[in-house]
Amino acid sequence: MHQHSRLRLTIIYCCAAVLLIGTVGPFLWLVSSSFQYERQLLNRPPQWLPNPIVLDSYREIFEGAILGEESGVPYQSRIFLGSFGNSFAIAGSVAVIAVVVGSLAAYPLARLNFRGRNVLLFGILASRLIPALSLAIPIVLVAKQIGMSDRLITLVFINLSFVLPYVIWLLQSYFKTIPMELEDAGRIDGCSRLQVVIKIILPLARPGLTSAAILAFLVAWGEFLFALLLSETPASYTSTVVVSLFATDVDVSFVSIITAGVVSVIPPIVFALIFQRYIISGLLSGSLKG
Amino acid sequence: MLAILFSAPAVIIIAATILVPFGIAVFLSLHKWNLKRPGRERFIGLENYTDWLTDSDFWQPLQTTFIFAIGAVLVIVIISLLVALLLNEKFPGRGLLRALLLVPWAIPSVVNALLWKWLLNPQYGLFNAIWYDLGIITEYQNVLGSMPSVMIWLVIAYSWIHIPLATLLLLSGLQTIPGDIYESAIVDGAGIFQRFLYITLPMLRSMLSIVIIFEMIFALKVFDIIFVLTAGGPADATNVLGWTIYTETFRKLDFGAGSSIAMLLGAITLGMAILFYVFLDRGVEQ
Repeated sequence: MHQHSRLRLTIIYCCAAVLLIGTVGPFLWLVSSSFQYERQLLNRPPQWLPNPIVLDSYREIFEGAILGEESGVPYQSRIFLGSFGNSFAIAGSVAVIAVVVGSLAAYPLARLNFRGRNVLLFGILASRLIPALSLAIPIVLVAKQIGMSDRLITLVFINLSFVLPYVIWLLQSYFKTIPMELEDAGRIDGCSRLQVVIKIILPLARPGLTSAAILAFLVAWGEFLFALLLSETPASYTSTVVVSLFATDVDVSFVSIITAGVVSVIPPIVFALIFQRYIISGLLSGSLKG
Repeated sequence: MLAILFSAPAVIIIAATILVPFGIAVFLSLHKWNLKRPGRERFIGLENYTDWLTDSDFWQPLQTTFIFAIGAVLVIVIISLLVALLLNEKFPGRGLLRALLLVPWAIPSVVNALLWKWLLNPQYGLFNAIWYDLGIITEYQNVLGSMPSVMIWLVIAYSWIHIPLATLLLLSGLQTIPGDIYESAIVDGAGIFQRFLYITLPMLRSMLSIVIIFEMIFALKVFDIIFVLTAGGPADATNVLGWTIYTETFRKLDFGAGSSIAMLLGAITLGMAILFYVFLDRGVEQ
């Protein structure tokens, strides 16, 4: 039996090693590349680890943002930091608003027996079956006509409608796990429904709210299609749009492109790893980042 | 009354950005509506649709879309299942591996495309260097420059960020299977493959169906990674319907034609979802 379990562990760790390389290997290579000189990147064979650690491409992003054209860095590098800020503003607002609006909608779905409850829940979820591409055409057309194109608020609004169904679904299933007795006690003490939600439900649902907020942030951060179609000037570019401008340009040095890629995934990866418990439980309660 | 009041903000936001545009999209798809020819918009009934359905510019991308989607679903489901089986075993370090799965998952699709573009670079890519060192190739290859390698690598790159979620879902499915079923199967002399075939797979079936349906829906509307990695090329080899809709609408500015093909893609996606649901769900009941 001892022999057997040692063999078992050996097989498991061999598989685990393959999985580990497959999971983080490609990304670590991107990180390693971003700390090298451009000429080192063009070496054959490639250099696995940066030696020395070069921060030029990171400095380029800051210099470009501060000095503008004077800095002499590529156009994309100059606008990158601004777009990074835009992404933060959009994803942050989406996360906050989605949780507030989502909890309000999720509460009656979880707690009240009203006519049309199932229709409402199903309708909210089914709205996500319509491909974003078919909605993009009218949205762009209308946004341009009413002067809402090229504005961050429009992207906040659109991202909200994409994350709300997931957030509502996740929160209503979370609210159901909170014992009804606590709420009844609050009602007897004379709290109104809204007070019950604010004073009793929300504090207890903090893990659920956290996972909903993080998921909303990550979805909004990674959104590309609408960010691309609804931005006309660098003032409203998001980081995914600038990354795509980098990646489809053949004249920019590899190291600048790679560094932009690395920097633009720092927030989502850091959040994902810090809040991994919340995210995994949130994902498994039926929410999906698509 | 309270329910209406509470859910009103969410419903208004969703209706304003999903239902209303959907209505407009249907309207556009029934009109000749090209921004290059302003003032010539007119109602043409189903002409946009019949034009597409008799045009190889629709059927060719449709075929490409299905090749991509089927490939992606197969790769995602098979690898996710293997990874989930591994992570369902108890061993020190399991939690860390599970947490690290979130790294690819958190990477936006556009950055993922950039990452694979660098890995597969024909002159300086890491993969070329590794293959060269292993003696698999004698000179560096441009795998994104020809068929069928471009489709294979597109599927792999796309799947890389989609595998983690599928894995976590399958893992949660595996964890609902009671351990004593396996124990009694071992007593009865069932080997590891028999246990997988006769216990794991049947009991995992409903979760497996959910994963397959979701991944199919996502893969059929692929766009982001195409935009950065291949732009539909080389020579239309990766021109999926998502890319056709984009070029038709936002490069040729033909909003009528673009809307109608987007509707067709929506209908196909919905049809596939229902087909899979019925097919897989019936299997579960048997």
